[in-house]
Amino acid sequence: MESEALHTTAPGEGPAVYLFVTCLADLLRPSVAFNSIKLLEDAGCRVTVPLQQTCCGQPAYNTGDYEAIIPLARQVVAMLEPADYVVLPSGSCAGMICHHYPTLLQDEWHERALRVAAKTFEITTFLSDIVKAKRPGRTPIPLPAVTYHDSCAGLRELGIKEQPRQLLREFCDTQVSELQQSEVCCGFGGTFCAKMPEISGKMVQDKLHNAAATGAGILAGGDLGCLLNIAGRARREGVAIEVRHITELLCGDLDGPAIGEGE
Amino acid sequence: MSDSARASIFARIRHSGSGASAAEIAAAREALGRAPAANLPGSDLCSSFLANVLLNRGTVDVVGNRSEAVTAVGKYIYQHYRTHRLVAGNDPRLAAMPWRDAGVLPRFGELEAGETVALSYARLGVAEIGAVVTFTGKANPAANNLLPENHIVVVDVADLVPDMEMAWSRIAHAMTTEQRPRGINFIAGPSSTGDIEGKLVYGAHGPRHWHVILLGEVPQAALGEAQAIAAPAATTGELD
Amino acid sequence: MQQYSDTFLDNASAALADKDKADVRDAMALFTPLVRNAAMDQFQHFEELRQHVKQVRQHSLDNLGHYLESYEQQAVKNGNQVHFANTGDELNSIVLDICQQHSARRIAKGKSMITEETGLNAFLERANLDVMETDLGEYIIQEAGETPSHIVGPALHKSAAEIRQLFLDRHDLGERELETTEDLVSEAREVLREHFLNAQVGIIGANALIAENGYSMLVTNEGNGDLCANLPPVLIICTSVDRILPRAEDATAMLRLLVRSATGQAQTCYTSFYSGPRREQDIDGPMETHIVLLDNRRSDILASDYREMLQCIRCGACLNHCPIFASVGGHAYGWVYPGPMGSVLTPLLTSLEQSQALPNACTSCGRCAEVCPADIPLPDLLRDLRHAEIEEKIAAPRWRQGLRIHAWLARQPRLYQLFTGMGIALLHLLGRKRGSFSKLPLASGWTSQRDFPSPQGRTFMQQYKAERKHRE
Repeated sequence: MESEALHTTAPGEGPAVYLFVTCLADLLRPSVAFNSIKLLEDAGCRVTVPLQQTCCGQPAYNTGDYEAIIPLARQVVAMLEPADYVVLPSGSCAGMICHHYPTLLQDEWHERALRVAAKTFEITTFLSDIVKAKRPGRTPIPLPAVTYHDSCAGLRELGIKEQPRQLLREFCDTQVSELQQSEVCCGFGGTFCAKMPEISGKMVQDKLHNAAATGAGILAGGDLGCLLNIAGRARREGVAIEVRHITELLCGDLDGPAIGEGE
Repeated sequence: MSDSARASIFARIRHSGSGASAAEIAAAREALGRAPAANLPGSDLCSSFLANVLLNRGTVDVVGNRSEAVTAVGKYIYQHYRTHRLVAGNDPRLAAMPWRDAGVLPRFGELEAGETVALSYARLGVAEIGAVVTFTGKANPAANNLLPENHIVVVDVADLVPDMEMAWSRIAHAMTTEQRPRGINFIAGPSSTGDIEGKLVYGAHGPRHWHVILLGEVPQAALGEAQAIAAPAATTGELD
Repeated sequence: MQQYSDTFLDNASAALADKDKADVRDAMALFTPLVRNAAMDQFQHFEELRQHVKQVRQHSLDNLGHYLESYEQQAVKNGNQVHFANTGDELNSIVLDICQQHSARRIAKGKSMITEETGLNAFLERANLDVMETDLGEYIIQEAGETPSHIVGPALHKSAAEIRQLFLDRHDLGERELETTEDLVSEAREVLREHFLNAQVGIIGANALIAENGYSMLVTNEGNGDLCANLPPVLIICTSVDRILPRAEDATAMLRLLVRSATGQAQTCYTSFYSGPRREQDIDGPMETHIVLLDNRRSDILASDYREMLQCIRCGACLNHCPIFASVGGHAYGWVYPGPMGSVLTPLLTSLEQSQALPNACTSCGRCAEVCPADIPLPDLLRDLRHAEIEEKIAAPRWRQGLRIHAWLARQPRLYQLFTGMGIALLHLLGRKRGSFSKLPLASGWTSQRDFPSPQGRTFMQQYKAERKHRE
């Protein structure tokens, strides 16, 4: 059962981390997951990828369908319990596990959810604050000018702000060219962008224009939902800015197409 | 109609209430303590009060005694209106001031149509918010606070308090010997509004100009310090 | 006020299409957070004060029966006539009765959101009373025949140029320039002064009611509320039962948060406390004062899971920080209270069915909760309302069914990975060259505004498992 459900790569001395890749990375951008593994291993972690992971349940949860998600939440909690640490390349999914699972679940499951929450981290927080990752190579990863979108859940639920910037300085010797209103929502909001497309459209347009106005070649962020939203708008408007996940930059994984770009 | 509404409202509210006794409720409130106040900007009560009055777009004078106070009032009304007349409330403290020494002719009463300057003697000055406090009554008709173009307010140094909690403490004490005033007014500036495009503009319905005279033993450096603190507002003529 | 929340999406659409109004909204969305943040940074004790005030408010609400009774006793002792109203209609009738008892024709009115809620002005006007709003923002929209777009600045959706044109059209004052905002304010001062002096009844609201001494608190920058409270011979204060605080200092503590959150000032120009009518020793003030306490479902909310919403102090900070409010403006919400607080209150005070779009006009970004001085968990309450929509079968079934299927599938990892594996492989094949789809079945909401980035390749799970197999 164990060998079926789990897989641990590159056994090392460091912390034992379960990687929850998130459904968006799994389905739409696996390189984020592979880059996450690399970053964690380079930082000395032993990475395990639980193979029955699918989704944290945010989409239905945010529409208020608590009943639909409670069984899934229990399943995810049970799956992650054996970990020393749980790491996710997404602030909103990490927030789901850290803040919303304990609220959703009662009694014994509430306690179990709290214990999992206590060891769950978004990846830039884990690398920057917990393992204090250092650049693996001798030379910094060269990047064009980079601007950064602070995804709402990560920022407000988990306090993620400085960590990706610190990592960009450490790994890439890069100072972020801050975009105006970097902390204002991009208009993704899960099902919101599909339920209220016009309003979402205005929000993402503002975000895209603010990003483009910095002159940066790359817009990075920590949440694929936001990045897919912004990249999709960039393609629609014909704005030439590369949209990538922070893990891609920290691994120097810049040769493949950016989000929304063709081969 | 109102009585039955009253009964049903109370019934609904009590149904979801704590059911605690009056003593328990009082103790619970007491246990919550007091709120934090804003920091005072100056090194003492006077400089802090004056600084906040200036930041509130008031103008100020600092005087050591009543004689100087009437001189300051005389200068102000002459400067603005080329007059020696003004209306003042029937406050015994105002009546007792040596008006003739400065050639000022106050009319004691309520502001009337056509009168543009009124003088009040405040009960308190609150340094935290740069406000003066007046009570309605013979000593200070509401019209004198609200309808003139220029409102001059005298406040004693001894009546300055650091924050609003202390102001309430003083007011509660005053109410042990006086009746509850009909109105207690904290005035912190000439009248203004932000209703057009969100930018604060002065001279709405109340007075356009607000002049505060601080009377008593004021540390020498206080006014200078207050002016330095308020300097950005004063020089640009606009609040940052 | 007439409600049109049920057409929120159409309202929003119209608002988005109006470029001039959009520019005004964009400017306000940049400006208002700046001044609020500057004020809070200077204050330095925001979190501590917020927690203190929240505890006091929760204590008051937990013991509301006790404090309401104390307040009533003290208010009556002060000489007020205290009235209770279950509904908005009852409040309106009580107010009209008082006006008719005094054969009043002219009313001077200070800003009161409660009276917007009950539609008092229209009700009084139908009875042939002349109601003049004296708060500048309310006056402007009254002249323009509009409803408030913001709970603190009702006319903030209008540019100075528009207001200038309005005054030129509506005030018969001859040739004049009205170049600056100061000129506009001066003119309003002139026009409105007469109303204060000639009104038979003044009607105001209250920012707080104080249980220990029966005073009501009124804060304004303009002083118009004080003019309404002091000059007319009859004063009516329209307020709600949840406004009661135990002590006077609780009201001023709350003010420290209210003013900074609302306008970025440290305090308002006028902070006044009124006890009641004039007595023997008074030389001025109303001969008669009435306090009308409205419930209108507050007692229901008190007993519900949305009780925290009663902690709201009506500062408007959540509106100012909400990106949806910034995009569509206050009128789109279709009732008295817009933005995040309005999206919670409107369903609770009117009907969830009629206002069902409002709790969905939210991305859970959390900016509102971050700045809320009452520490109300607005995103959670909004999500709970979305939950209620599902429970009450108000929510569109299409979405719910689709997401339920997704949630079920997510619990069957093999099935999930099988289906997603196939689906993603196909999408990747179709989309790899261009990199994104401009149209996609079942995703018209998304693709109406942006392209859908195509999958990078096979799913992570497929690749990862294949790699593993290869290594073994």
